[in-house]
Amino acid sequence: MLVAVLTYVGYGVLTLFGYLRDFLRHWRIEKCHHATEREEQKDFVSLYQDFENFYTRNLYMRIRDNWNRPICSVPGAKVDIMERQSHDYNWSFKYTGNIIKGVINMGSYNYLGFARNDGSCQEAAARVLEKYGVGVCSTRQEIGNLDKHEELEKLVADFLGVEAAMTYGMGFATIFSMNIRALVGKGCLILSDELNHASLVLGARLSGATIRIFKHNSECAIMEGSIVRLPEVIALKKKYKAYLYLDEAHSIGALGPSGRGVVDYFGLDPKDVDVMMGTFTKSFGASGGYIGGKKSSAPVPVPLKGGDHELWKKSTDVASGFRIASNNLPLCIPQELIDYLRTHSHSAVYATSLSPPVVEQIITSMKCIMGHDGTSIGKECVQQLAENTRYFRRRLKEMGFIIYGNEDSPVVPLMLYMPAKIGAFGREMLKRNIGVVVVGFPATPIIESRARFCLSAAHTKEMLDTALKEISEVGDLLQLKYSRHRLVPLLDRPFDETTYEETED
Amino acid sequence: MNVGVAHSEVNPNTRVMNSRGMWLTYALGVGLLHIVLLSIPFFSVPVAWTLTNIIHNLGMYVFLHAVKGTPFETPDQGKARLLTHWEQLDYGVQFTSSRKFFTISPIILVLQIVPTSFSLYMNVLSPTHLPPGQALLSCFSQYFIHV
Repeated sequence: MLVAVLTYVGYGVLTLFGYLRDFLRHWRIEKCHHATEREEQKDFVSLYQDFENFYTRNLYMRIRDNWNRPICSVPGAKVDIMERQSHDYNWSFKYTGNIIKGVINMGSYNYLGFARNDGSCQEAAARVLEKYGVGVCSTRQEIGNLDKHEELEKLVADFLGVEAAMTYGMGFATIFSMNIRALVGKGCLILSDELNHASLVLGARLSGATIRIFKHNSECAIMEGSIVRLPEVIALKKKYKAYLYLDEAHSIGALGPSGRGVVDYFGLDPKDVDVMMGTFTKSFGASGGYIGGKKSSAPVPVPLKGGDHELWKKSTDVASGFRIASNNLPLCIPQELIDYLRTHSHSAVYATSLSPPVVEQIITSMKCIMGHDGTSIGKECVQQLAENTRYFRRRLKEMGFIIYGNEDSPVVPLMLYMPAKIGAFGREMLKRNIGVVVVGFPATPIIESRARFCLSAAHTKEMLDTALKEISEVGDLLQLKYSRHRLVPLLDRPFDETTYEETED
Repeated sequence: MNVGVAHSEVNPNTRVMNSRGMWLTYALGVGLLHIVLLSIPFFSVPVAWTLTNIIHNLGMYVFLHAVKGTPFETPDQGKARLLTHWEQLDYGVQFTSSRKFFTISPIILVLQIVPTSFSLYMNVLSPTHLPPGQALLSCFSQYFIHV
C-alpha cells in the first residue's frame, strides 16, 4: 500500500511539473519542441489537441530513450544495439557511432530461438530465395498463391491438429481482416477479455458486433504472463453453444510438451476450439499469421434474447481470445470455415501473400519442432524453454521481486510500480548490457507498470545467471524487491528421510 | 510503452480514482496540505482550516471540473474530449463509490471549521457565550463587515 501511495505521489509530482512546464512553454520562457501550428494558423480550428499530448510531452518524453532502440543484428539471444545520445532531454537523438555489442536480449519474442542467421532454416530460406525471389507481387486470390503456400498450409493444419489452415502475410492483419464482416457482424455478440491485444479489440470494434468485456480473472493473455483456463472455457462454450476464438500469437510453439500451444499444454482436443489463430512472428522467427479451422458438430447458432445475461456471466478468456455467440453467423460447418475465409477474408483478397523465403523459414522451423527433419533439435528447444522459464521465475521469486503470471509462461512481468523506476530500470539494465522492455501507464493500469522479460530457448544458463545477477543488483539499487513472501530456495538434492523440510520465515 | 495503444480499457481516466490506494493518497495529500498550512506561524488554527478548504476546493475544482478531456490519447475518437474528469469517472455511472467519496470529502473538510473555531472563539475570543447559531454567524460576520 505504501508503494501505491508513493506511485500516486510520483505521478502527482510529474503532473504538477508538467503543468508548470506547459505554462513556461506557453509564455516562451522554455523552448517548445513539440508540434504546434504556425502563428497565422492560430485563429483557425486547432490542429493539435494540446491536452491529449500532455502525457506524451511531459512523461513519455523524459524516458523515451528506453523504447525504439535501433538494433543492428539479428535479434537472437544476444543483440547489438546502436548507441544514441540526446542533448535536449530526449526530444532528438544523435547516433554516437558506437554499437553496444552482445547485449543479452530479454525483450524479443524469440521463444524457441529460431531468430538466427545461421543454421538449416536460414540455408533453406536462402535456397528458396534463389529460386522464387523475394516479392510475391500479388494477392492470394490473384496470382500470388504459390505452391509453397499450399505446402505451408497443409503443414500448419497438421501441426495444430485441425482440418485446414489459412495463412496471411501479417499477424495483426490476420485478426483484423478476420473479424470484419468475415465472421461477425451486427447482431452478433462478442465476449472479449479485458487484456486482449489491440488487433482483437480493433477488429471487434470494426465489425459492428456488440462487445462485452469480462474481467481477466485469473486467466490472462499470455502477453501478461498468464495462461487461460482452457478446459473451463471449453466447458462453458459447449454449455452455451458459443464459438471459441483462440489467439495463440504468443503461446504457439512456446507452451505445451511438444510446443503445440495452449491446447497441447492442457492436453485437450484441438477440435473443441472453433477458430484457432496464431502468428509465426514469435516462436518461428518469421512473420505472418494463420487461422486453423476445426471440425466439430455443426454448432447451432443461438438466437440471443434481449436480456440474456447468463451468456455474459463469468466466462473465461483463452490466451487473448473471445467467444462469439450469434444469431446470424454466416458460417455453419467449420470445414467450410477455411474455404469461406479464402473467399471472404479481406487479407486474402487485398493483401499480398507471404514472401517465399519467409514461408520456407516457417516450414523448416515447424518441421524442426515437429521432429520431421529427423533431428531432435525441436524437442530440445521446447524443453530448454520450459526449463529456462521455470528456473528464471523461481530465481526471481527467491530474490524477492513481484512477478505476475503463470509458472510455465515464458513471459515474465516484473512489477516496477513507480514511474521513475520505469526509466531507471531500462537505463540501468542497458548499462549492464541487458536489453529489457518496460511498459507503463496507459498501456497498463496506472500503478502497475512493469518490466517484461521474454525468455528464449536460445538463452543458455550462463546468460540467465548473468542476467539474474544484474537484475538483482539493479533491484537492490532501485529497491524493487517488494515481495513480502520469501520463497525458500528449493533443495536441489533429492528428498530423503534424513533431510528436514525447511520452513518459511 | 505504446502511448495511445488500443486496449479494452477505452479511457483509463475512468478507472484511476478506483485504483488501489488512491483514496488514501488523496487523504494524505489533504492532510499534508493542512499540516503545511498549520506550520506557518501567522495562521491560527481556524484560518488554517479555512485556507485548507479554499485551496482544496480550488484544486479539486480545477482538476475534476474545469479541465476537460484526457492527458493522453484514447481510442474512443474524442468522446471524452468535452467531458471533465468528474463526468468521465466510471463512464458516467452516477453514485459509484468514488463519486460518493469525493462528494463527501469536501463536506467533511468544511465541517472541521466549526468545532475548531467555535471552541477557540468561545474560550479565547469572546467573554460572552453566545448560542451556537449566533456564534457561527459571528465567526463569519467579520468577513462581511463591509456589506
